[in-house]
Amino acid sequence: MTTDKNNQLEILCGKCPQLEMLRASSDLQFYGQDASKHLTPNPTAILLPNRTEEVQQIVQWANEHDIKLVPSGGRTGLSGGAVAAQAEVVISLEKMNHIIGFNTTDRTVTCQAGVVTAKLQEYACAQQLYYPVDFASSGSSQIGGNIATNAGGIRVLRYGLTRDWVSGLTVITGSGERLDLNQGLIKNATGYDLRHLMIGSEGTLGIITEAKMQLTEPPVPQGVTLCALDNFADCLTILRTFRHRLRLSAFEFFSDKALNHVLQHNDLEAPFQQRSPYYLLAEYDYGSPGTQEALEQVFEECFNQGWISDGIVAQSETQSQKLWQLRERVSESISNKTPYKNDISVCPSQAPIFLKELEQLVNQAYPDYEIIWFGHIGDGNVHLNILKPETLSHSEFLHQCHQVSQLVGATLHKHQGSVSAEHGVGLLKKEQLRYSRSEHEISLMKQLKLIFDPKQILNPGKIFDI
Amino acid sequence: MKILVPVKRVVDYNVRIQVKSDNSGVNLDGVKMSVNPFDEIAVEEALRIKERGEAEEVIAVTIGDSAAQEQLRTVLAMGCDRAILVEAPSDLEPLAVAKTLKALVEKEDAQLVIAGKQAIDDDSGQVAQMLAALLSCAQATFASKIELAGDSAKVTREVDAGLETIEVDLPAVVSADLRLNEPRYVKLPDIMKAKRKPIDTLSLAELGVDGTNQLTVSNWSAPSAREPGIKVEDVAGLVGKLKEKGLL
Ligand SMILES: Cc1cc2nc3c(=O)[nH]c(=O)nc-3n(C[C@H](O)[C@H](O)[C@H](O)COP(=O)(O)OP(=O)(O)OC[C@H]3O[C@@H](n4cnc5c(N)ncnc54)[C@H](O)[C@@H]3O)c2cc1C
Repeated sequence: MTTDKNNQLEILCGKCPQLEMLRASSDLQFYGQDASKHLTPNPTAILLPNRTEEVQQIVQWANEHDIKLVPSGGRTGLSGGAVAAQAEVVISLEKMNHIIGFNTTDRTVTCQAGVVTAKLQEYACAQQLYYPVDFASSGSSQIGGNIATNAGGIRVLRYGLTRDWVSGLTVITGSGERLDLNQGLIKNATGYDLRHLMIGSEGTLGIITEAKMQLTEPPVPQGVTLCALDNFADCLTILRTFRHRLRLSAFEFFSDKALNHVLQHNDLEAPFQQRSPYYLLAEYDYGSPGTQEALEQVFEECFNQGWISDGIVAQSETQSQKLWQLRERVSESISNKTPYKNDISVCPSQAPIFLKELEQLVNQAYPDYEIIWFGHIGDGNVHLNILKPETLSHSEFLHQCHQVSQLVGATLHKHQGSVSAEHGVGLLKKEQLRYSRSEHEISLMKQLKLIFDPKQILNPGKIFDI
Repeated sequence: MKILVPVKRVVDYNVRIQVKSDNSGVNLDGVKMSVNPFDEIAVEEALRIKERGEAEEVIAVTIGDSAAQEQLRTVLAMGCDRAILVEAPSDLEPLAVAKTLKALVEKEDAQLVIAGKQAIDDDSGQVAQMLAALLSCAQATFASKIELAGDSAKVTREVDAGLETIEVDLPAVVSADLRLNEPRYVKLPDIMKAKRKPIDTLSLAELGVDGTNQLTVSNWSAPSAREPGIKVEDVAGLVGKLKEKGLL
């Protein structure tokens, strides 16, 4: 640490008397890392601003002294986007966690970027409304982080991505300008919508400080069914059959190996006495007349075709939640094995062929590794997790995974899929970006980056190197 | 031996209850309804007893309006052999419920009744005890374990001081507590098979029960909201606050 940087940080704190700064090594470790856990954190300092104005002062200061900043939300990201490994200064939004306003007519909530996702969900519920974006990490992730990654989750099938719920943004760009974007308008045909450029930009164009989020009416009661299947390329045929008669809000899958880890780490019962290689969890509107019959019909059809071998139906919300836990706990139950995560997607119509090819490729490439499959199969998104064998060193493991990722990338390219469906590119998926985006597209993205952040202050080296 | 299990249709445990704006009751429109969780545990226990070969038949009974057939179908799919729907207003009071069950126990000659310890909608927690009194038979309430041995049952009860084990002669009424077991999931093929299982419908009059309620509910209101917690700066602050509230 240069005394220069020390002095500069002191200057900043002098300018912003209420700005909290952390320098203890435990804090640096804690705030410098996200949930991907493959990279070693090494930030210089952690700043915890309270207001948009302070964020702006920090970014202006960073421009003046050429200091690199890493925006940090709940650090549940899985691509290393919030990792500070290059002596950057972390700017954590965690103190900006207030809900500022609610408009009953517009059904919008204005919140600071550091509001935890679950808090927005609860707030909506208290207004008898609903914020539908949800996933296993929503108890820790922040709205700002969700917007910066365009988070998806378990109900994309019905409700879309975070993008679909952002009706206004306040952003401090990399050059320190404040932008108030859209501000809640439903219709606004006045040129480029920079709000949408900010969504999914992973903290490389600007720091989101406030967001106006759209709410909707709560869903009717939901039913949950868990089905067992032998062949997971059948998932999409089953999806089509289910959709004929049921209004689905989620369609998720996980493998028996994934279930093993969940049962080992949690006090949950195995759903079936007899195990099957794969399971599907479907959530659907329940309660209108005929739903039960519709469910039975689709089950019978899938059963007779040999696509589904068994199925259970939750009889209460408690059972629904237990079935959901079997799916939602997969990620945390394998986290002690430092999994290498592939978060990939293709169009659902392409999924059966793609999955077959992928399965073959992966089984050949990783004959000795334990592979855990799960994901949001209803929208063509699978999480393919490779567990590190205990005997293998971390660096050798990563090296091998990177090599296989190139093969996965090439297969994705062939099927016009995405190398990162919802976790972002961050530091970990940079090399694979070229499989999903053309050279020209990447070059345009780089130019955009330089317009918003000419000195490359924000999240340098994330998504791509310039 | 026959086991009779009463099952009540209630608002699902996880639903946020809302009192109607005119305070005349709870809003049930579009709300998810389920088997009372303690009754589900009672059903599971009865089925396990039958699966161990210690009972021949498990009969589920619900007292309520015809919508409660949905809950009977659930427990039939879990494995009950047959079910009885006694048509009655869904707000029938505990004593009338107990009298109805008494008539059914006698009609069916059931040796064991396993009931939930309470229904989570009105939380009365009275039916099992009243039924045992009306039948002049043994009762074992708040059971966390049931072992049958010929004409008697050893029941572990959850009491304030811990666990108490008692032995009761059959016939008996046992009420199920939360830790008795973990109810099974219901399989889709079993749901379909359950459709062919019989549900008999009876009226209160056929069982000779007067269903007139003795109580009138005058008003419903939501519990007052909990006050938000406060944050203290440090241990000294915490101790100060506790003293201030007279807790230390
Ligand atoms: C168990 C588990 C399950 C998950 N399931 C899902 C899932 O189903 N779907 C899904 O999409 N994701 C999932 N994730 C990934 C993760 O939760 C999401 O990417 C989430 O949106 C990240 O939010 P965060 O606040 O934790 O962001 P962080 O991890 O802190 O940051 C993510 C990125 O956003 C940037 N950033 C953060 N805040 C701001 C801001 N205010 N302004 C500008 N940039 C910012 C960071 O620099 C970084 O690049 C899961 C993660 C875990 C651990």
